[in-house]
Amino acid sequence: LIPPDEGITPGKGTYYASSCNACPAGCGILVRVSEGRAKKIEGNPEHPINRGKLCARGQAVVQELYHPDRVPHPLKRNGPRGSGAFTRISWQEGIGLLTDRLKALQREQSTNGLALLTPHLRGTLAELTGRFMRTFGSTNHVSYELLTPDLLRIAARRSFGQPTLPYYDIAETRYLLSFGADFVDSHLSPVKYGSAFGEMRQGRDTVRGHFTYVGGRMSLTAASADRWMPAKPGSEGTLALGIARLILAESLYDSGALAMNGLEAKKLLAALDRYDLPRVAQLSGLPQGAIAEVAREFASTRPALALAGEMVAFQSNGPESVRAVHLLNLLVGSLNRPGGIYPDAGSPSGPENSFAELIALIETMRGGHVKVAMIHGDPLYSVPPATGFHDALAKVPFIVSFSSLLDDTALHADLVLPDHAALESWGDVIPVAGTREPLVGLMQPVVEPLFDTRQFPEVLLATAHELGGRMAAALPDESYLELLKGAVRKQAGFGAGVDFEAAWVDLLQHGGLFKTKSVQPTGYRWSSDAPPPLPEDPDFAGDQKTYPFHLIAYPATAFYDGRGAPYPWLQQLPDPMTTVVWGSWVEINPETAAEHGIGFGDLVEVSSPQGTLRLPAVVYPGIRPDMVAIPLGQGHRGMGRYAQGQGVNPLALVARQGTKQQPAWNATRVRITRISGNGELVTAGHPQGSLRSELVEI
Amino acid sequence: METMTSQYRWGMVVDLDRCTGCGACVVACQAENNVAICGKKEISEGRNMHWLRIERFWVGQYPDVRARFLPVLCQHCHDAPCEPVCPVYASYHNPDGLNGQVYNRCVGTRYCGNNCPYAVRVFNFYNHEWPNPLDNQLSPDMTVRTRGVMEKCTFCIQRIRRAKEDAKSENRTIRDGEIQPACAQTCPTDALVFGNMADPRSRVAILSRSPRRFRLLEHLGTHPSICYLKGGGREHV
Repeated sequence: LIPPDEGITPGKGTYYASSCNACPAGCGILVRVSEGRAKKIEGNPEHPINRGKLCARGQAVVQELYHPDRVPHPLKRNGPRGSGAFTRISWQEGIGLLTDRLKALQREQSTNGLALLTPHLRGTLAELTGRFMRTFGSTNHVSYELLTPDLLRIAARRSFGQPTLPYYDIAETRYLLSFGADFVDSHLSPVKYGSAFGEMRQGRDTVRGHFTYVGGRMSLTAASADRWMPAKPGSEGTLALGIARLILAESLYDSGALAMNGLEAKKLLAALDRYDLPRVAQLSGLPQGAIAEVAREFASTRPALALAGEMVAFQSNGPESVRAVHLLNLLVGSLNRPGGIYPDAGSPSGPENSFAELIALIETMRGGHVKVAMIHGDPLYSVPPATGFHDALAKVPFIVSFSSLLDDTALHADLVLPDHAALESWGDVIPVAGTREPLVGLMQPVVEPLFDTRQFPEVLLATAHELGGRMAAALPDESYLELLKGAVRKQAGFGAGVDFEAAWVDLLQHGGLFKTKSVQPTGYRWSSDAPPPLPEDPDFAGDQKTYPFHLIAYPATAFYDGRGAPYPWLQQLPDPMTTVVWGSWVEINPETAAEHGIGFGDLVEVSSPQGTLRLPAVVYPGIRPDMVAIPLGQGHRGMGRYAQGQGVNPLALVARQGTKQQPAWNATRVRITRISGNGELVTAGHPQGSLRSELVEI
Repeated sequence: METMTSQYRWGMVVDLDRCTGCGACVVACQAENNVAICGKKEISEGRNMHWLRIERFWVGQYPDVRARFLPVLCQHCHDAPCEPVCPVYASYHNPDGLNGQVYNRCVGTRYCGNNCPYAVRVFNFYNHEWPNPLDNQLSPDMTVRTRGVMEKCTFCIQRIRRAKEDAKSENRTIRDGEIQPACAQTCPTDALVFGNMADPRSRVAILSRSPRRFRLLEHLGTHPSICYLKGGGREHV
């Protein structure tokens, strides 16, 4: 009989608490480990964000750990860039290659030649990377994420004087009005708000909350709405102001709330004079009657709550439109009230201009001033080519990638220093939003590392140690774990009498620190110097004649910004709205499709001023006839066997308008042409559903 | 007439007013039950292996259009059309009211799948692979089915078994909410509720008495264990 390893009882699972980092929401997870192998990820019932629930993406993270195409050891490029030809090297050699380059920069006194590109980092890792770059003497540290909430923060700062993201009290509200906020699939904290949505619908005995969705495409979130208002893209802010004007004109507003925020109804009404019903109806393409009805329902049902999401923010007039929606919350007295919005305590502040910083970095790279680029994440996939990022990165002589799969960026790297999988890592996960109590989720390794990989922060520490001098002095920590423990100790505010080691084990068992000493943000209050929101007319790249359709690139439910694509469970998960599996598609209104002779599954060419893609068509009843939509997340050049070559990346079509430093991803026009009848589209069910709806009575 | 030989009659309530169609349950089921990964070609042949699927219906036309979601899993019928047609008794009814499947009895006639009105039985037309090290994720609680075997939702019977053993060792009955199948456990909106229908005070039994209740294809007389609650709409406001 072979005795099992210590701590293992065959057939008995052990649950480890950790945190999910598959998206910025930062849910708590429990990982079931059996015989030393991670088997299943479940929600952590104690975690205040997700309370035991978890989305599809979070559960698939176990496939990151066991992905058959993980980079098992450091790699050095030995062919032309992008060829994918690498040789195995040791960690010593890998860190040596990096430090040689960095030492050369120090010798030449051009330390600004180092650039670090990461997703938005929070907590200890943000602190560590910041210290690394500052001490080295480089200002080129850019945190970039495609679906960044920067614009929501800008809007909050302009209106309320603080960049705090909103926390929505959806569970307690009676009327939910969403302007392009897809809170059950991607907006801020989908599991948290999905759960609250269920409560809003059926959690109260006598009240069923009503839900109206504004947006030109019926998203997964919009599919649950009682009323769908397909407004023209870019007109959402105007529509919000039209509703606001009607509420003011008919005296349906909360006068106490207005007075408290230092606003006068008369003055505000005069400022919104241009937003009369006929004009708003014409600009938004919606019937006057429906707008007035929604306005009256919204103002007369208390509490009511208005949300503004990415579909609005990523227009050319994004921040002002978001502000217009928040004005609605103010008018009906929903600021800082149950069933309304509060400032979120998750990450009260965060980057507000990360896109402008990225553009600045691209300029620096193009000028040849960046000699070494350290990249965590996959910007070659998630930065739209229209920014010039791809050409600029090609001018960097030495690229280091920390990806655990050979993604698009790693394929172009000169050195790959593979990171641990999330389930092998230590870390603190601070949710971007979704809580009114500040909290720190903890990540702990649940299995022994599978391969010869090292966690990204450990590599930074080792590099600093190798560099010596100031760097070693500024980053003296033995390991990332010690650094992390120090940070958590500070956050928890443990007194001298506390046995920290015991407290630390306790925190790990529960999944994090759910009561911190951090100060909660103060309530939202309209800034005295904030002008009324006045969104300008939307501006689109491409002229209407050549490019008659608006393009919407939205995060696919399964893939978010593309991070979910390498996992076969998510590739196989039928898209909820179209039931498509393993691929991309373009959604076209049935009327438009008929005009262009396009049938379900036909191959279609979509062209914008920026680029051209070919992909299959889905005839989609829930989209405006002047819009087409393509999901984000597919079209990777690398990322392992399951993602590689599946579908297309719609970011190739996205164009930038003018010189504005704003990520207006949804402000491009396109044209469509039918190519052939075979788009190789695979759906999991019949396009109409396999049980006939009259039979199932729904 | 069925005779009650167990104090449990497992059932589920699916609240369509809560369901947002997000697909978390589909992945949870796949993860818990070692459900095979199917490629594009296989699914294009209609040979997807998911035990739980979400049907999507379009109702109406633009702009008055709405999408409705319907999670469909084995209904664990009390008069199950799949059971009497199995020549080898692989498809059977257990005392708790579960519609079970014995994989090592199954000879792959597919009569049961053919007879199921809900199309929730899936057949292994191929041998499926978990390329190393992906096979490490396979749960030791479940067998991995081979080619030629019919498989289906079991209400996560491995979890029910474990809870029964725990309850027995503590000399008590299973508490309400103690067992959750993987799908109900993960459902963000709490649309899926599982429990003992034989206990009138269980959450699932209380919910199943809602005026919004209906059963899938009720007119066929299969007496499913799953009860759906009608979704909303303007008429419910």
